[in-house]
Amino acid sequence: MTMRDDRGVDVRLPVSPRRVVSLAPSLTEVVFLLGRQDLLVGVTRYCNFPPTAASLPKIGGVSDPDVERVVSLAPDLVLCTTDGNPREKVRALEETGIPCFAVAPQDLSSVFATIERVGALLEAAERGRAEAAALRRRADRARSAGKGDGSPGPRVLFAVSTSPIIAAGSGTFMDEIVRLAGGRNMAAGYSGRYPRLSVEDLVAARPDVVFVAGMAGVERFPEEVRRWKEIPAFRDGDVHTLDGDVVTRPGPRLVAALEQVSAVLGAWRASHRESPGPGPGGSR
Amino acid sequence: MAGEPPGIARPGSRGLAVTRHTGGNGSGAAFLALSGTLLAAVALSISTGSVTIPLRKIADALLHGGDDTPARILLSLRLPRALLGVLVGGALASSGVAFQALLRNPLADPYILGVSGGAAVGALTVALFLAAGASPALPLFAFIGAALAALSVFLLARRKSGVSPERLILMGVVVGAFLNAVIMLMVTLSPPGKIPGALYWLMGDLGLGTPRRVGVLLPYVALGVAVLFLLSRGMDLLLLGDHAAFQTGLSVERVKTATYLTASLLAGSVVAVSGLIGFVGLIVPHGARALVGSGHRRLLPAAFLLGGAFLVISDTIARSASPAGELPVGAVTALAGAPFFLYLLRRNGGRS
Repeated sequence: MTMRDDRGVDVRLPVSPRRVVSLAPSLTEVVFLLGRQDLLVGVTRYCNFPPTAASLPKIGGVSDPDVERVVSLAPDLVLCTTDGNPREKVRALEETGIPCFAVAPQDLSSVFATIERVGALLEAAERGRAEAAALRRRADRARSAGKGDGSPGPRVLFAVSTSPIIAAGSGTFMDEIVRLAGGRNMAAGYSGRYPRLSVEDLVAARPDVVFVAGMAGVERFPEEVRRWKEIPAFRDGDVHTLDGDVVTRPGPRLVAALEQVSAVLGAWRASHRESPGPGPGGSR
Repeated sequence: MAGEPPGIARPGSRGLAVTRHTGGNGSGAAFLALSGTLLAAVALSISTGSVTIPLRKIADALLHGGDDTPARILLSLRLPRALLGVLVGGALASSGVAFQALLRNPLADPYILGVSGGAAVGALTVALFLAAGASPALPLFAFIGAALAALSVFLLARRKSGVSPERLILMGVVVGAFLNAVIMLMVTLSPPGKIPGALYWLMGDLGLGTPRRVGVLLPYVALGVAVLFLLSRGMDLLLLGDHAAFQTGLSVERVKTATYLTASLLAGSVVAVSGLIGFVGLIVPHGARALVGSGHRRLLPAAFLLGGAFLVISDTIARSASPAGELPVGAVTALAGAPFFLYLLRRNGGRS
């Protein structure tokens, strides 16, 4: 079988794979979703979902996979990503004759497509299509739940770090999720993917809802930020923590994140339809 | 106020040109120009931000206070940040002057003798073992780390005959290399997600300038700078060499010890509130020397004013210039500062 991967490389598999190594937590999740986890002989030390994935043999990290260890596992397919795994490491693996299939999902729909393609690679094409279709349906439902009555949705800050304040800007999955759920990402106007913001930037933008991508140590904003009651989200306590792994991994659980965000924004809409907030606010 | 570029942006203009002559009158004019520059820098800083506040409102809030949003932005975000910039920039420059005199080395800066590495190890220790992110313990541990590193360099370098600049630099390099290795190990072996907060913090940031932090830092800086000022005659003589200084009846070792400890603690206390901000402590002393000469009684205050103004302006650029959000202020100090100080130093024909 031959399939073109996201690098544009035609990956040729002489036989259908029996020993697979995953170099990314998102791909490990995809393999489990497809029910093909019995093929996995190696994963990264960050692969912690589903929980049983953590007990599989480790081949190092995402940015520092141990090439020798991968080779020693004698895989007949390596699943990797273009924006996490170093190109040289993947090339080194390919030079030993191991086929490497690289994915580069940029948005939700390409995540779904990735599930279908990995399914086809692992002799689970049917299952892949079914799972992708189910996820698409859930995403559509969450999206229409988030879409309100046409009024502009809440202004949203999606923080990946609280000290310093670093927001998810345009080009991130978090930005897409906020948009699909009917919110307006206040950091979308910055040029970088992860702009660093000052407290004053928040006071100027006045986010109505704040999400924090919960990773070690970033869950809480310091008191000197929270005490700014000019920021509606802090005034009303509309600050929500989401699992950082779920919102940053281009895997199937992105849909769960979309559902959570959509539910929060839907609740915000419901409460603000009854009692319109204190004036239009906005940056002055 | 905001429309008028402060003197530092046009160094060729009137105020600074007078200071070619470093004699009595010339340095008086230089101090006037430096003070004006510092005031203009603070004014520029507090009138810049993502919320637009009219100048009239700024003046009103500064004079009468207030509790509305613009007044609170001014009084509890912008003003503390600007004042923190003055204290940090001034303290780093003063500490740099002291280290350059003590080590008789134009390349010396406040971080040369282990302060930066010690502070980093202290900060990472908090991030790894106590609490990730911005823990209140972080400044304290950074200060302790800096003080311990500086102290061990000093004790390692000391001999019966006293400390020599060469041994201090050598020990500083060795201790610094050791601490760097510790930092690399801590970063490599740490679980993901624990370290970034501490690393960002170490890159240098005035964004956490709160009235309370300014209040905490103020006594350290005031005391440190005052002690250095009292030592200024001693530093003049140190520059002549130990032997010559000794012949003037100066207790050389005492001056060196006091200078070293004061400058290190000054740098350590600044690092504790703002992280590691480079370039200011290295190059501002040379800029100040170009303006008022190398007598420390004039040089120290001049370096304080210039360092404060320079850092406040750099921070204003750092938080307003980029469409990608805030930049690390340390990047701006070097990026914007290098050309300016090159100009200043060349104009003085390398006399500095």
